Amino acid sequence: MRRRWLRLVPIGALAAASAAGTAFSRGLPGRLDPQLSWCGPSWERPLGCGEAGVDLLALVSSAERGAMALAIVVGLVGFAAGTSLGAAAALARGTVERAVERTCDLVQAFPSFIMALAVLSAVRSPSRVYIGCVFAVTAWAPFARLALAQTRSLRSASFVEAAAALGRGRSGVLFRHIVPNLLSVAAVQLGSTAAAVVVGEASLAFVGLGPPDGVSLGGVLDQGVSAMLRAPHVLLVGALAVLATSSGLLVAGRVFQAEPTPR
Amino acid sequence: MRPAAGDARRIGRVAVAAAAEALLVALALSSFVFAAFRWLPGDPARLVLGDEASDAAVSRLRGHLHLDEPLSSQYLRFLRGLMTLDLGDSFRRPGTGAMAEVLSALRPTVELSALAVAMGATFGVGAALMATGPWLRPALRDWVDRALVLGAAVPLIALAPVLTWALAARARVVPLPGDPQAGLEGLLFASGLLSVPLGAHVGRVARAALADLGREAFLTVARAKGGRPLRVWLLHALPCVAGPIVTVVASQLGALLGGAVVLERLFERWGLGTLILQAYAARDLPVLEGAVVAAGVLFVAAQMLGTALHAAVDPRVRGGLE
Repeated sequence: MRRRWLRLVPIGALAAASAAGTAFSRGLPGRLDPQLSWCGPSWERPLGCGEAGVDLLALVSSAERGAMALAIVVGLVGFAAGTSLGAAAALARGTVERAVERTCDLVQAFPSFIMALAVLSAVRSPSRVYIGCVFAVTAWAPFARLALAQTRSLRSASFVEAAAALGRGRSGVLFRHIVPNLLSVAAVQLGSTAAAVVVGEASLAFVGLGPPDGVSLGGVLDQGVSAMLRAPHVLLVGALAVLATSSGLLVAGRVFQAEPTPR
Repeated sequence: MRPAAGDARRIGRVAVAAAAEALLVALALSSFVFAAFRWLPGDPARLVLGDEASDAAVSRLRGHLHLDEPLSSQYLRFLRGLMTLDLGDSFRRPGTGAMAEVLSALRPTVELSALAVAMGATFGVGAALMATGPWLRPALRDWVDRALVLGAAVPLIALAPVLTWALAARARVVPLPGDPQAGLEGLLFASGLLSVPLGAHVGRVARAALADLGREAFLTVARAKGGRPLRVWLLHALPCVAGPIVTVVASQLGALLGGAVVLERLFERWGLGTLILQAYAARDLPVLEGAVVAAGVLFVAAQMLGTALHAAVDPRVRGGLE
């Protein structure tokens, strides 16, 4: 039981490290030092410098926080919308249930990265809010799907019938009895949705559709690729940051999941 | 057993339903593109010409793009353009049709993605067989499982640049795929990278399905009749798990296309992704709309192909659907 909470450690450590990184580097992520371009790690700048001498520690720390915040907000929006929609649809049964299920199929089958490219290329400079909205458009579907499947088995459980028989209304049953039982499954999905948002945001910034201030993990990777031979540390720092953030979120999502029973 | 007339009708119904759904996805994606350019703040004509352009030039372009007509007739015109494969001329290269550019970019992307799907499915199924079958020691089988979990968790955007740096730039064992001289080897390297996440997902799903299947009586019978392990697993077990494998490939196709865009950008390789990004940078609306819709159609076509393959391999789907 106690070991479960250890799953929050990696992402917490990462958040702490990014706060410490910002405090240590004392500089804005946008400050440039052209004579230090692409310089390797040193005591002054522990992660080295990137293009035009930007301090990588400051850049990665603040990009990391931006990505995590975006991922958590999108994940929570998808969680709230998807879980309640899916559970409500399964309680309503019939046509509503089938319609929601088909819509989930369609949305989940959508090539969301291509859609994000299409939508973001229509705005002049894609801000974080736009990027978040684009991800939120598809993020709710897996939650709805999970909630639907779980609620289907829960709706005939005797404690749900008892609650209805004792006079709880539909929304009372939904929020007091069904949703709490969905949390552990939905939390796993929350972790993987958040990880997907981090990766998606980095990929968008990598191909050139990042936030206008250029503070993004994908931007770091883009710099790293262009100076692959001269300064490989930039590439490695960017790749490790994306990997650590996404896997930290994946692990954190399993916080409510029971330990596997030993064989 | 000969298929009865009812079977044929059922297959027909399933095919029509699948085609209708594919059409719906393609229509939804293209409507999304259409709506994005017209509803989001900012005038497309202004976006194309920049802030300094005179109002006269902007309104001329608006007329040229038919932006001054009501939305419904713009939408009909857009759909008609898609049907007849004629979206007008590219802005960036006047005289070249937007669709011609899109079609020329389609081939490299199809090559890359198709090869990646083939490689990913082969690796994934191979790894799943290794992790389930009797060929490896149990400890090694656990390691195959762990490798699959790792492969599915490592994002392509982190993996591809690092592997490219290590293998192509430092060790120089593979050519850079963007190099025109790279040829087949470069293509194989690029699609190998693209196939890693797909292969890991396929492997995990196939592994779980095969493990469920392992205790089934018909496999015991096949073994009792003297079938060698390879024959039992390949001929008897594998077709039964075709369903989950096709489903997981289909569910990963969108991510695969996104990955193809990232890799094309990484290697500066020509393809749909490069075209979309170039058209975005140059504000080339007809090409941008055409390329995004083409990506959607490619995705839908691949999904339909998957469904057809599934039905061809698994007789339960042919008869039992609906």
